[in-house]
Amino acid sequence: MLTAVKNQVRVCVLSVKYNIMREMLNKVTFLTNILFMMLNNATFIVQWVILFRLREDIGGYTMREMMLLWGLTASSFGLSHILFARVFSLSDLIINGKLDSYLVQPKNVLLGVMTSATSTSSIGDFLYGVALLCVFCFSVKRFFLFLLFAVTGAVIMTAFALLMGSLSFWLVRADMLGNNVINTMIGFSTYPDGIFKGGARFLIYYIIPVGMAVYKPVHIMVSFDAGELFSVLGFAVGLSALSVFVFYRGLRRYSSGNLMEARI
Amino acid sequence: MKKYAVIYRSVLMENLQYAANAAMGFVSYFVFIFIFTQLWNYVYSDPGQLIAGYTREQMIWYVMITEMLWFGTRAAAVSGQAAMDIRGGNIAYQINKPYHYALYLLSRYTGEWSVRLPMYALLSAVTGLVLVGGLPGFGILTFLAVIPSVVLGITIHAVFKLSISFFSFWIEDSNPFQWLYDKLLLVVGTLFPVEIFPKALQPLFRLTPVYTVCYGPAKLIVDFSVEKWVEILVAQLFYLAAGCALMFFIYGKGVKRLYVNGG
Repeated sequence: MLTAVKNQVRVCVLSVKYNIMREMLNKVTFLTNILFMMLNNATFIVQWVILFRLREDIGGYTMREMMLLWGLTASSFGLSHILFARVFSLSDLIINGKLDSYLVQPKNVLLGVMTSATSTSSIGDFLYGVALLCVFCFSVKRFFLFLLFAVTGAVIMTAFALLMGSLSFWLVRADMLGNNVINTMIGFSTYPDGIFKGGARFLIYYIIPVGMAVYKPVHIMVSFDAGELFSVLGFAVGLSALSVFVFYRGLRRYSSGNLMEARI
Repeated sequence: MKKYAVIYRSVLMENLQYAANAAMGFVSYFVFIFIFTQLWNYVYSDPGQLIAGYTREQMIWYVMITEMLWFGTRAAAVSGQAAMDIRGGNIAYQINKPYHYALYLLSRYTGEWSVRLPMYALLSAVTGLVLVGGLPGFGILTFLAVIPSVVLGITIHAVFKLSISFFSFWIEDSNPFQWLYDKLLLVVGTLFPVEIFPKALQPLFRLTPVYTVCYGPAKLIVDFSVEKWVEILVAQLFYLAAGCALMFFIYGKGVKRLYVNGG
């Protein structure tokens, strides 16, 4: 059992490693993608400098906390797209019957799908998040908490994308629904939760998991609370289990597209 | 010009067939507007407050209009198509046709946004009326006067996007440059009016595409004046001429570097 798990982890690591090596074939493009993504994200600092000139706090956040929120969102998003980019286009695989090549491999189907692609520019997102933390609010404790929450945030985003993508096993146009819901999650995650009231607040904490992915972790990093920390960890584990369950339930309904495709 | 009109018409008809697909982007647009409405409601602590000369309603309408232009004119023809054609070699089949490749893409792009933008305009009007109420001083005459400015703004945007796409003749992937250009427009042009920036930076921003692509049309809609209208139209015509010269120059230089390997 342990050997099987070890082998599976090794295959996943190798898969991600070869994805990145393939992207590195053209080194100039690879580095440009990373650096320009960091610059691209940095332009949003201007937005917050302007807004904090108008008011000292926005939704209960100061500039420092806002940068922490932005950094955590960028790193979580980056990590999920470095390791599991294919999950975000799972609907396409299902709708077009492209899962066949994964089903015939002698390893775990879901992990095979998840680790089959990497987004180069997301390395820039991840590094940008860490850089924001170091520039605006560094402390050793916060650094380790940040890394932990970047992992839980990435797990929650990936699990939610897997859940949305798996809907395509049942619904024909679930790809559009899924894409819109995931975009909504990303959209909300770069604005302070304090500006949202009533139904919107309910939505970000209980329907789309942006509250657990980034808002609560930021509150914990500002003012540590062990109970809240365990609630985030528990949520990440619970959502992952649910999304894996839904994926495998849906996989029973999958029918091949008879596409000739090879994974090498 | 007739052949470009034919290209425009064919793309327009094609996009009309799939108009419902364009509506899928409404959700993202609506979410964005919702977030910004909440944000400005929070920043404007007093409903009668003026920020950089804008009331709360004008500020929200400004963002809605610039975002309407942003979402309503997003099209693959000028952002990804040229770069993909160059990288994939498909351009070899395009440049030997009896039209100029850049003008062909511009015609396609115009056909694409001609369907999408009116749909977004309608959605913006309804969303704006529901969320913040009517826009004081806006009437049918303002609407008609602003149309040329909107069309010029979109065309200038397309010309600059195409110029960036043509960098693919030199580097494999021009997307990173597109991101930076997009973010310049998004952060400096669509989220805030130019007046909100420090006074020392405002003349600089007026020299960038931000002034002619986003700020100009949106400013005319939320706060119309004839002097401003003339000033913005003159700037747009100048910018369009300069942008076209730049685009043809980059294309002319780049296409000489093209190697066709057959296949």
